[in-house]
Amino acid sequence: MANLLIIIVSAVFVNNFVVVQFLGICPFLGVSKKTESAFGMGVAVIFVMTVASLVCYCLYNYVLVPVGITYLKTIVFIFVIASLVQILEMVLKKFAPALYRSMGVYLPLITTNCAILGVAELNLTSAMVTNVLTATLNGFFSGIGFLLAIVLLSGVREKVDKLPIAKPLKGFPITMICACFMAMAFYVFGTVAL
Amino acid sequence: MSYSDFMFLAATSVDWGKFFIVVGIMAGIGLIFSLLIILISKYCVVHEDPKIAEVSAHLCGANCGGCGYPGCDGFAKALVEGKASIDDCGQTTKENKIEISNILGVSYSGGTETIAVVSCNGGTNCGDKYSYQGYGSCVSQQILANGRKQCEVGCMGAGSCVDACPNLAIECRDGYAQIDPALCVSCGICIKTCPKKLIKRIPKDAKVYVACSTQCKGREVVDMCKSGCISCGICQKFCPNDAIHLVNNVPIIDYSKCNGCGTCKAKCPRHVIKSVYEEK
Repeated sequence: MANLLIIIVSAVFVNNFVVVQFLGICPFLGVSKKTESAFGMGVAVIFVMTVASLVCYCLYNYVLVPVGITYLKTIVFIFVIASLVQILEMVLKKFAPALYRSMGVYLPLITTNCAILGVAELNLTSAMVTNVLTATLNGFFSGIGFLLAIVLLSGVREKVDKLPIAKPLKGFPITMICACFMAMAFYVFGTVAL
Repeated sequence: MSYSDFMFLAATSVDWGKFFIVVGIMAGIGLIFSLLIILISKYCVVHEDPKIAEVSAHLCGANCGGCGYPGCDGFAKALVEGKASIDDCGQTTKENKIEISNILGVSYSGGTETIAVVSCNGGTNCGDKYSYQGYGSCVSQQILANGRKQCEVGCMGAGSCVDACPNLAIECRDGYAQIDPALCVSCGICIKTCPKKLIKRIPKDAKVYVACSTQCKGREVVDMCKSGCISCGICQKFCPNDAIHLVNNVPIIDYSKCNGCGTCKAKCPRHVIKSVYEEK
């Protein structure tokens, strides 16, 4: 039980994929303009991360390792992630067209979101991940961490957009600065001894 | 590559059994996922009206949002569903509008291309009711006792329309907003923004417009504004085409009759009637 708690805290705060490990910066900055679409993106990433870590972990341990072809893991993982994103895209187009439009080009970009390949890879090396359950949990809560970071940043951006900001800093530069401060805040969790 | 390199390659024995296992595994994973995708795509197929794509191909694609729909695609969807009228878009050219109405199967009334003008030229010539100190936009001034100007329909020149215009076509000179007809695409955002409803559309080929909208009588106008219309009716009297008439003390130009001769502009004692393309 304590192990599970450590996985949760670690995935959401201490090793947050975006603001601590700097993986998946592209959608983090690209889709965080509005809280609504940021939330949608976060939920999509949670879905893909959870299923990807489950499927990738199983494939790696029950197919690639017994046959002895672990050098193919990256290709297989990309395979899995690309298929999952394709499925997610079709499901969203059918059931949530507004969300589908607002995510735009960033939805297919989940395929190349390195946070997702990152969670699949880190599941193999992480000391905390010992079985399928912990791998899936790690994926799910890493997704929660991504959702937290992107929703926080979108809230900050919505507020910052209404402030009078010097022209050279307006838009993207101030976003980078906000993200930087957020990352610094998250580093506090790194001092927590787990 | 030298000969010895090839010898090395030949000496490396390929474990064909394992090779086929690897190929088989990869093909198997690929097959499973492609079957899954095919199944889900069968289940999740979306029937989108092909008309929507055709209509949006004929729209101007500026995505200005002036029609009130989210971008040109949203407008195209509303058009096909019959919720919007093609005249809600000010920028699409007439030929394309006719094309679109052919696609939609509706008769097109043949509206003309338009531009927006500000029907006020008071500015610094028009007196203030009070001195306004606060956030600078017209919208916030309007909340305070119907705006700063003595005239109820006087442009306050604080530039809410300037901020709203996506094409930077509006600027405030001499205390009132002026639209550059060369830049205006008639999207209509300023029309919705102006708290005094001073901005209106006129045909693109119009030569003159009335730059005042006050319905007050002459005496009151003279008291509050040096360049307001005093409803003298000279324009109506001298117009050779019977195109200009006083309605509620404001001259209204009937652009179907106006031939742009400019008599009204020359005769107007208060210089309220202005050319659209005015020399700066």
